[in-house]
This record gives sequence, structure tokens and C-alpha cells, in this order.
Amino acid sequence: MRRVAIVGGGATRCGKREATWRELVQEAGKAMFEDVDNISPKEVDALLVGAAQPERFVFQVHVAPMVAEHLGITPRKVIATTELMCASGQAAIRYAWACIASGMADMAVAFGVEKMYMPDMAEAQTNMTCVLDREWDGINGLSAPPFFAMTAQRHMYEYGTTKEQMALVSVKNHHYSTMNPIAQFQKEVPVESVFKSPMIAPPLNLFDCSGITDGAAGVVLVPADRAKEYTDTPMYIIGSGQANIGNAINNLASITEWIPLKLAVEETLKTAKITLKEIDIAELHDCFTISEIMEYEAFGWAKKGEGGKFIENGEPYIGGTIAANPRGGLLGCGHPLGATAILQTLDILHQFRGDVPKGRSVSDAEIAVTHNLSGAANVHSILAYSRTEK
Amino acid sequence: MKKVEFEKLKRPETIKLPSMLDFYPLEDEKNTRISPFFSNLKERRLTTTRCEECGKVLWPPRIVCSSCFSDDLEWIDLGTEGELYAFTEMRLGAPLGFVDDVPFCIGIVKIGGLSISARIDNAKYEDLKIGQKVQLKVVELDDGRVFYRFDAAKETP
Repeated sequence: MRRVAIVGGGATRCGKREATWRELVQEAGKAMFEDVDNISPKEVDALLVGAAQPERFVFQVHVAPMVAEHLGITPRKVIATTELMCASGQAAIRYAWACIASGMADMAVAFGVEKMYMPDMAEAQTNMTCVLDREWDGINGLSAPPFFAMTAQRHMYEYGTTKEQMALVSVKNHHYSTMNPIAQFQKEVPVESVFKSPMIAPPLNLFDCSGITDGAAGVVLVPADRAKEYTDTPMYIIGSGQANIGNAINNLASITEWIPLKLAVEETLKTAKITLKEIDIAELHDCFTISEIMEYEAFGWAKKGEGGKFIENGEPYIGGTIAANPRGGLLGCGHPLGATAILQTLDILHQFRGDVPKGRSVSDAEIAVTHNLSGAANVHSILAYSRTEK
Repeated sequence: MKKVEFEKLKRPETIKLPSMLDFYPLEDEKNTRISPFFSNLKERRLTTTRCEECGKVLWPPRIVCSSCFSDDLEWIDLGTEGELYAFTEMRLGAPLGFVDDVPFCIGIVKIGGLSISARIDNAKYEDLKIGQKVQLKVVELDDGRVFYRFDAAKETP
């Protein structure tokens, strides 16, 4: 297997954009190619496009060739769309990595895009109810907010986690996103604002939930031994983990403990040959405030049930036990489904380059992970990156 | 040069809800091999499939056992009383077809050894409690299709 490096990438500004799906693609593609030295789109022989629901949001399938056409890419080895709902972008990176590592391709683009703002937002919400088992769970109105609301309710019931502790996750991530020029939300959100924001599904207020977001991003992958031809500052993929247990609510391993995430963490540490303590930055999938709290626990930074105390003590801030979501997270940056994992990965690259504003810069960072969950948190996906070739 | 024509088009004011945007599944034997689930539900029975070979109780109902791949499955009753494991109330962000129902309660109900999601009727969020009993209820659409919900109302003594 060949070692694989990411040599650059680019993204759109995220948020409610006055732009179509294909315009987001063009914006991000231009930024991506302009970030990489000595590159021609014609060199790209593999294109993987993370797109969660283009067939519902913009009524278009077969979207990978559409991205290829708009970016002047003519793949000769591999082209496909990757769908894993909220982890669709990470699926794109994983397959692009596998293409390069196996020798199947020599230059791959992992792209991600989602256009989620629709003229009728009830239609956008409808799309989210076919994420869980639509005939048996979605039919009950069970989209992401009510599912994670019940997860939060059980976590509060079993471990005494509080709404204040959950709100503190939102406070932290919105704080970091004020220093991220492409973030959807760039205002500080104090605890009171979380409590005063509209109730979506108790115990979750609006600011406990990540946004509906338009956005796109792409990164370029090459064999590690060729990385320096394209940039002075590549980063290296050093390991990964991914696990799935069940799908319908009845078949989840547990509501209050994310066992697939624990498995994915174990696998990541093993394949990357690192310990938890060596991780300097974690881009976690904070689709809801409760998610990040449960992720502190599943990764092992906090004991089971003590994720709430962990944020209360400031441990997931830069300088604490782990710098969690210094990008601003999904809560601060928005969550354009297919693009999210690419945006996380791109920000790690910028962190390693020392290319982020001081207030959210993790100095001397060497090792980072990006994490995505999807569905009813029944799938967890992690990638591990290193600033230097290990 | 000829004048460019500008014609106004008319579109139908309403269209029939396409079946794939209708959350309720097609239930009859022409469309699904688990149609007994729905005919049982019409008789006020909540049922699912159990594998005759390995004994595994499967939810949602199946036609092949996911443990041993036997297709020898039988229908079993899950009972009519469940226990509320978790619940919430949809207040904002409901999907099409549910907007008029807002606010409505959703729960995870333990019944017959399973944990299934369901609408919880006859309840406000503030009145519900983890662990409380809920009763099976059947709803019927105007075209005769049925689905299950649970009712949280306490029986009058």
C-alpha cells in the first residue's frame, strides 16, 4: 500500500447562499485548484463526490460527472458519487485514499457539496426524514432533531448531564467560528442565547442544532512520495476507523453509548499507531450539542457519563485536554452534509500550515483526527492526519 | 427579423401526492410480502416476524432472517401495552404532511422485547414521563391504509 498525502484544497463560504448547487461546485473547485502548485485538472484520474441528497435537494442524480464537467476533470480511472448521509464527504476521502494507496489512481480529488436551502423549507425537513428507516422511523416524524433530542433526554436521565453543559458546547464552537471567515455563523453565542433560541424538540433549542447550510469543498490526494511536487506543506493520512451497528431504532447497539464510535476510535489508534494523548486537534461531528458530549466519552477523553463535566471544566478548548472543533464545528460553521468532512479536513491542513487566525490556532499541532457520524449515530467514521510523514 | 414569441404556460394547481413522498407505505399483498403486518394491525394487533429456525425476533418485519437467512418466519404478537423509554415533541422543523400536526410527541417505546419509535398521541411533552405505560392505537387513512401509534392517556377509573 502506498502512503497518501493531501496537497491542498479549497472551499466556498458556507451558509444560506444565493447560489445554485453547480455554482457552489464551481466556486470550491476554483479555490481548490488555485491552492495547489503545478496542477492541471487533466492530471486528476479519480474523482469521488460526497453528496448526501442531491436527488432530493436539487432533483439531480449522477452528480459526479457534473462536478467533473464543471471542473475540467476527465477521470480515466475512477469516478463515483459517495453517499453516507452526514459522512458522505468522509466516504469520498476514504475512497480517494484507497484509490491512491492501492495504485489504482495517481491523483484523486475528494469533493463534497450540498445545497440545502430550498424555497419551501418543509421540503428540506422532509428530506431529513428519509435518513433513518423511512417506513418505520421516518414515518413517525423522526428526523435528526427528535432523534438526538431523545438521545439527550436519556443522557440527562442516566448521567445527570444538564442543558447548561450542552449549551456550553454551542458557546465554544460559536466562539471559534467567529474566527473562521467561511463559517455560516460568526457571532458569539452566550449560554442565555442558546436557552432563548426557539425550542425545536425538547431538550434541544435551535442553537443546540447545527444549521441548514449550502456549501462545497474539495481536496487533492496524491502518493506521499510525490506530494512535494505540488506543495511545501502537504499532510499525510496515517490511519482510520469506521464502524456500523444496526440501522432502525430497534437495532441500534445503544442510545446513550456510541459503541460503533468506540470501535472506530480503537481502529484509528491502531492503524495510525498513535495514542489518544498524541492527538492535538479533533474535528468532531457536533451536529447537536449532545453529540459532542458523547464523543468526548467515546473517544476516551472523558469517562462515560462525564462529557458534560468535561466541557464545564473547559477541557475541550485549545490548551485543554483536547482542542475539539477549533474550526467552529458544525454548530458554528454549518453542516452542508456532503461537504462537511472535506471542510473539516481542509481546516486541519490550514492548522498544520499555521494558516488560521491566532485565536483558534493550535500551535505545534502534529496529529489530528476528523470524525463524522451518520444516520441514528449507527455509523461512525474517523480519519487521522499527520503534519509530517510518519 | 421575426418577433420572438413569449407564451405563458399553465400548470395544474394541485397534484396528487406521489407515493414516494407519502410516508405511509404501500401495504397490500400486491406491493409487499409483509402485508400480514398491516392486516393484523387492522384487527388491532401489533405483530412482527420471528424466525422459526433460530428464534430471532425481527423488527422491522422481514421475509428473510438476518441471523440465519432462513425464510421460514412466523408472525407473533407484541402485545398492546408498551413502556416509554424516551420521548420528545416536534415543535419546529416538521416535514411536509406533518406540519399541521405540530406540536406532536414522538417516543421510543419498549414493547414485546423491542424498542420501536412511534407517535405518542393524547399527550403534551410536559405530561409524559420516562417509564410510563402507553397503549397501542391504530390510525387509518381515508384510503384504508393503517399504521400504529401509542396513546398516553391514563384510563379513567
